[in-house]
Amino acid sequence: MRYRRAGLAKALACTAVVALAATACGSGGSTTTSDGKTVLTIATFNEFGYEELFKEYEAANPNVKIEQRKTGQGAPHHQNLFTKLTAGSGLADIEGIEEGYLAKVMAQSSKFEDLKKIGPSDVREDRWLQWKVDAVTTKDGKLIGYGTDIGPLAMCYRKDLLEAANMPSDAEGVKALFENWDSYFAAGDQYVKATGKAWFDSASQVFNPMHNQEKVGYFDADDKLAIETNNDKKLFEQVVKAVEGGQSAKLVAWSDEWKRGFKESAFATKVCPSWMLGGIRENSGPEHKGKWAVSASFPGGGGNWGGSYLAVPTQGKNKEEAAKLAAWLTAPEQQIKAFKAKGTFPSQTQALISPELLNQTDEYFGGEKVGLLFAEQANKVPAAQYKGPEDGAIQENVIAPALQSVEQGTSGADAWNTVVEGAKKAAK
Amino acid sequence: MTTELTVTSGRGAEPRPPRREDNDDITPAKVNWRHRLTHLDVKVSPYLYIAPFFIVFGLVGLFPLLYTAYLSLFDWEMGADEQPFVGLDNYTTLLADSQFWNAMVNTLSIFVLSSGPQVVVAVLLAALLNTALRGRTAWRMGVLLPYVASLVALTIIFANLFGPQYGMVNNILEFVGIDRIDWQAERWWSHVAIATMVNWRWTGYNALIVLAAMQAIPRDVYEAAWVDGASKMRQFFSITLPLLRPTMIFVVVTSTIGGLQIFTEPKLFAPAGSNNGGSQNQYQTVVLYMYQSGFEGFDLGYASAIAWVLFLVIIGIAGVNFLITRRLASTGGS
Amino acid sequence: MAVIHGRRTVVERPPDKGAGKGKGTLSDRRPGFTVYGILIAFILGSAFPFYWSYVVASHNDADIKGDPPLIPGGNFFANANRVLDTIPFWKALGNSVIVSGTVTLSVVILSTLAGFAFAKLRFKGRGPLMVFVVATLAVPTQLGIIPLFMTMSELGWSGTLGAVIVPNLVTAFGVFWMRQYIADAVPDELIEAARMDGCSMIRTFWHVCLPAVRPAAAMLGIFTFMTSWNDFLWPLIVLDPSDPTMQVALEKLQSGYYVDNTLVLAGTTMATVPILIVFLVLGRQIVAGIMQGAVKG
Repeated sequence: MRYRRAGLAKALACTAVVALAATACGSGGSTTTSDGKTVLTIATFNEFGYEELFKEYEAANPNVKIEQRKTGQGAPHHQNLFTKLTAGSGLADIEGIEEGYLAKVMAQSSKFEDLKKIGPSDVREDRWLQWKVDAVTTKDGKLIGYGTDIGPLAMCYRKDLLEAANMPSDAEGVKALFENWDSYFAAGDQYVKATGKAWFDSASQVFNPMHNQEKVGYFDADDKLAIETNNDKKLFEQVVKAVEGGQSAKLVAWSDEWKRGFKESAFATKVCPSWMLGGIRENSGPEHKGKWAVSASFPGGGGNWGGSYLAVPTQGKNKEEAAKLAAWLTAPEQQIKAFKAKGTFPSQTQALISPELLNQTDEYFGGEKVGLLFAEQANKVPAAQYKGPEDGAIQENVIAPALQSVEQGTSGADAWNTVVEGAKKAAK
Repeated sequence: MTTELTVTSGRGAEPRPPRREDNDDITPAKVNWRHRLTHLDVKVSPYLYIAPFFIVFGLVGLFPLLYTAYLSLFDWEMGADEQPFVGLDNYTTLLADSQFWNAMVNTLSIFVLSSGPQVVVAVLLAALLNTALRGRTAWRMGVLLPYVASLVALTIIFANLFGPQYGMVNNILEFVGIDRIDWQAERWWSHVAIATMVNWRWTGYNALIVLAAMQAIPRDVYEAAWVDGASKMRQFFSITLPLLRPTMIFVVVTSTIGGLQIFTEPKLFAPAGSNNGGSQNQYQTVVLYMYQSGFEGFDLGYASAIAWVLFLVIIGIAGVNFLITRRLASTGGS
Repeated sequence: MAVIHGRRTVVERPPDKGAGKGKGTLSDRRPGFTVYGILIAFILGSAFPFYWSYVVASHNDADIKGDPPLIPGGNFFANANRVLDTIPFWKALGNSVIVSGTVTLSVVILSTLAGFAFAKLRFKGRGPLMVFVVATLAVPTQLGIIPLFMTMSELGWSGTLGAVIVPNLVTAFGVFWMRQYIADAVPDELIEAARMDGCSMIRTFWHVCLPAVRPAAAMLGIFTFMTSWNDFLWPLIVLDPSDPTMQVALEKLQSGYYVDNTLVLAGTTMATVPILIVFLVLGRQIVAGIMQGAVKG
């Protein structure tokens, strides 16, 4: 999975930034304005949907001025974050952190404030889904980020393509197909046999949610590499078999060819987190409207991909004020507003039962009540799997390329040897 | 080019008069204030002129250099709580790291596929541009356009060209009855594709550099050769090339350095911006590996060690190329 | 720019160098169709990305999926307006012009000065210092960002345009290039003649060296402007995001899970216009250089 585009929302433009940019003075490191207001900086990427919320907060707290530092994509934002974390200065008072980079941040938890200590005392952990909080709590119990949004997983599929292959395509019918991974791959074999076309987009897009449903990830709780003792080898072989059976469209996620693949109907199913719907719509184009459907039946239960946190670095100057703002922004009422502004799916339990969320529908996906569907999926996410600091590196630079090499013709056994070797090197 | 050609006039073709040491022997007897000022001017000016470079370097270049040298001796994980001193461990690990050597081979392979053809084509292109073309400015600026193209546009265009499944090149190959090529999977072809990107971006740039130097060659040199009945070919090899020596040295040295530090193109070539350089690191270059170690793996100590080993390799290869170029370019001369 | 335009008439090539203008030498003959043919092929290949960027930028998003279009559409101004609504385009343009303009001017002057010293003046340590300059080119720069940021914070410059300008005021590349060019393009005799006439070093540089190196200086100017204009990561890290340079601002067009290429390439195309202007202005200098070298127009 690629983190680079991951983050929050789907929409592009945001005129508020321009307004903000026009009024902001190039104040760099200053912490107060000339009229004595406290300046709070907040660095985000992609779309957090906060622009209107900042105005609201400033109106309610006349002594605070908020400056947003906004980066388009996740990758440069996090590169900036880690550079300044290392340099020891230059970070914003509040930094957005994407789930995919979280393990690296957790490994440097001493550089972030414990929000249990400096945050407002009325913020309790039960504000969020349990797994969302667990993932950002260190072994010694520090809470280093407030959850913003999440990306609960569902299965998207092309009704028309399944029909053409004489397979069930209605919401009830596909439940059996997507019940667990065995049934999913069996259905894939059936589909390939009937059409000669691919079942899913890319092997690593399927492997990652399988892996994340496991109890033990790449590392055990003592940060020891577990890849040879956990279930990964079995899962890997399962995916390899599917690839060898022609089920993969062999498209690298987020590549131009992958985007083109939606348009070309190159695959019939797609693991889809809530935020992926917009991408599917845009990439597939209007001619495929109503052909895509989204199913609440996800193989093996549920899962999460993406979503972010707000953290307060220790190098900041107004840490308590910053924590107060972060707490306010991540309160259910505000996250519902962000959801309405930019579609970021909230991680707060109270927000997940809000009628505004539950009544959301998506015309492109046949008018499906996607708000309700993904809220249910969010509750199916298993307990947070422990992630070691090198988790991201193994997933991105060891597993994903190995699966790609299988798609390019390498044998599964060779690829697995490469995985073990590469994981050992990454974990050294 | 062993052909000798006698050139009767024109500088550069004959050995230069030895340069003057200083100007302080002009009026040895009279030492007045003016002379002393001149003397000071001669002594101090050169240092004043080169000072800005060294000041800026000292301010912003030296510290990063020393810092990476220092980091390379530590197990320096970005942000980790302790960074133990490990001496030369990073270097010994590196020399035994097969991924590093793989990256080195990829770098050299892409380097050979790009720099060689590029320099040759650039010189020939410069020769064409140095003719009395109509609308010269347009032609010259035209060949430099690739250098200006935005990387965003290039990424999209090259993905459309070399995409294994929907790419234009493969569609054409299929149309004319040749097998499709998996540009991402096959090591050699991935190098060819990347070298194509490199050559496309940098040939015009090098051509213009060479062209600027060609314009400095005085006409009378050619006239003398023309009077002697030398063919155009011969003029080119016996006059133009030798007179281009300093510029050729510049082009060869900078394209060696640039070629061995190649980073942007393989990064753009990877779908979705991965730093892996292919599923089995088929086209991961040394700098890409360094970048991955430093900014994705956050292992700055190791990344710094890669930087320094690459530095030594570059100095070595650039030095050899420098000597070869100097020799080759001087054969036509004296 | 003053440097490049300045005082071109003061010193021409000495009569014995530039006088002979015979017919029939390599460069004077009008080239034939083959030459034009080859060059046209080159230019078409070179200009294609620009053309294609404009083509995409002038369509709407739905048009460009599937096989990419090859003919411009009518949507460019709509897309351009969306760019202006999304990012602080004019502010970024102003910043980029300031940064790239200053850097270019400074690199050209300071590199030429240093190149002149290294090529034509004798001083102790010349050889080793020159080798040192070239060697600094061989250090990969990517890792330098962290220590450089530490330096800038220490100096209190982060968040200011100075942090982007100062590190690039003079480059090893520029010094090396000017040294190589001056070594050959400026005859020693000319410099000695000027010195004999009592010119100070700086006057010699100004009146003898500068006019002779205009093509190379123009070339260096173009390259420097381009490099500076397209720099992304360093400005992103060191500048205040509300006060960005062009490339940093353009990156914001790519936010979201779905990237609208018509919007991205509209922004890219708009940001290319200033570069093309620099091209035309400095490009004429390169041609002016050859005029001096006595080829008839």
